[in-house]
Amino acid sequence: MSEQAKTHALKGKRILIAKPGLDGHDVGAKVIALALRDAGAEVIYTGLRKTPDYIARIAVDEDVDAVGLSVLSGSHRDLVQQTRESLDAIEAADIPIFLGGTIPAEDWPDLFALGVKKIYTSEMPLADVVASIAETLK
Amino acid sequence: MNAPQKTDRRALGRALSRTANASVADVLASAQGASGACRRIGVTGPPGAGKSSLIAALVRQRLARDGDIAILAIDPTSPVSGGAILGDRIRMEDLAQNARVYIRSLASRRSHDGLADNLPDMLEIIENAGFAEAILETVGVGQVEYAVRHVVDTILLVMPPGAGDQIQAMKGGILETADILVVNKADQPGAQQLASELAGVMKLRGEAPSGWAPPIVKTSIRDSASVAALAEEIDRHQAWLAERAGAKGRLEARRAQHVASLVARRVAEVLERTSPEDLRRPLAGLYESVIRHLAVFNGAA
Repeated sequence: MSEQAKTHALKGKRILIAKPGLDGHDVGAKVIALALRDAGAEVIYTGLRKTPDYIARIAVDEDVDAVGLSVLSGSHRDLVQQTRESLDAIEAADIPIFLGGTIPAEDWPDLFALGVKKIYTSEMPLADVVASIAETLK
Repeated sequence: MNAPQKTDRRALGRALSRTANASVADVLASAQGASGACRRIGVTGPPGAGKSSLIAALVRQRLARDGDIAILAIDPTSPVSGGAILGDRIRMEDLAQNARVYIRSLASRRSHDGLADNLPDMLEIIENAGFAEAILETVGVGQVEYAVRHVVDTILLVMPPGAGDQIQAMKGGILETADILVVNKADQPGAQQLASELAGVMKLRGEAPSGWAPPIVKTSIRDSASVAALAEEIDRHQAWLAERAGAKGRLEARRAQHVASLVARRVAEVLERTSPEDLRRPLAGLYESVIRHLAVFNGAA
């Protein structure tokens, strides 16, 4: 793979970065949004405190290739489940969900069972997160 | 391929993506044409003018009229990565909950005129989906955006107070193509001064060849009456266009621009496939070679 192709591995992809639930911390979401942009993606950011239904509707209207949820409130389980259900209900079962934030390792198996494709925590190097998303969306 | 209807958001979203990504050959193969039935409003102006927030306020007013509204909001593509942050819809949040409103964020991609790749074709999809009105938010570079003239009926040029020094630079450009001049954030200092300066410039210019005298409207999203006044000026311009029966000439001009944008894109496609060796050939030879390849898109492109 050429250096160019590697750097812009997300070229042509549209990704929604969404903040469901009540936590008001969106630094992580914004950092990810910029990193995805720099990898060539077109990134739509929802802003804070969006409902799962609203996020699903934007994902469909914007025809994104993936939804990235950023959750730091601890309610990731419910929010993931509701977002997945909202997407499935409007013919968007094919749109994958990525999850980022403060997600304890013991919750991961449940979250994957609920349909989360990949989980990223703040300790992971940004470049690895971007590479993993690119690999998953290939 | 059937035209997606406005109620089928999944199909509509996908059709717009397909078209945004389509090669010129694909566009030509799937072009459906459009009737011109959809009111098309373009909103342009420098960054920071408050275009997105004003569009949200304006659409709330215009929903009082018949039909559904689509908003296409364009943000710039990074020339370095090819990526983009599409953030206009953050300022249109409450509208996104309304079933009569469709918002689509677009990246400018290869387009350098404030618009986006295959935008005329995307507007046809919006029109054929049954929207009564399409509102187009341009990138906001301010000076090179006359291309918008041919894809919409009514152009709003939105300026923030303090843009007075930019008027000089705009005089020969977008200022001449705008149908309605909007001084936004009118609750801030400098709005009246800008409105006066604009009035002076327009007076100096005299009557436009078209006969339409662009009104100057002061708006603040905190003052719904001011936004209602803007909505009415749009109606007045649309009625003026219809009355002049100029619609036919307008659609023809739109088609000319449409084909010109396809040719420009085709040139870009050919150049992207031209090898460095060819690019080092003498200019006349290179030119001939590009011209020869322009017509060659029978499935191979």
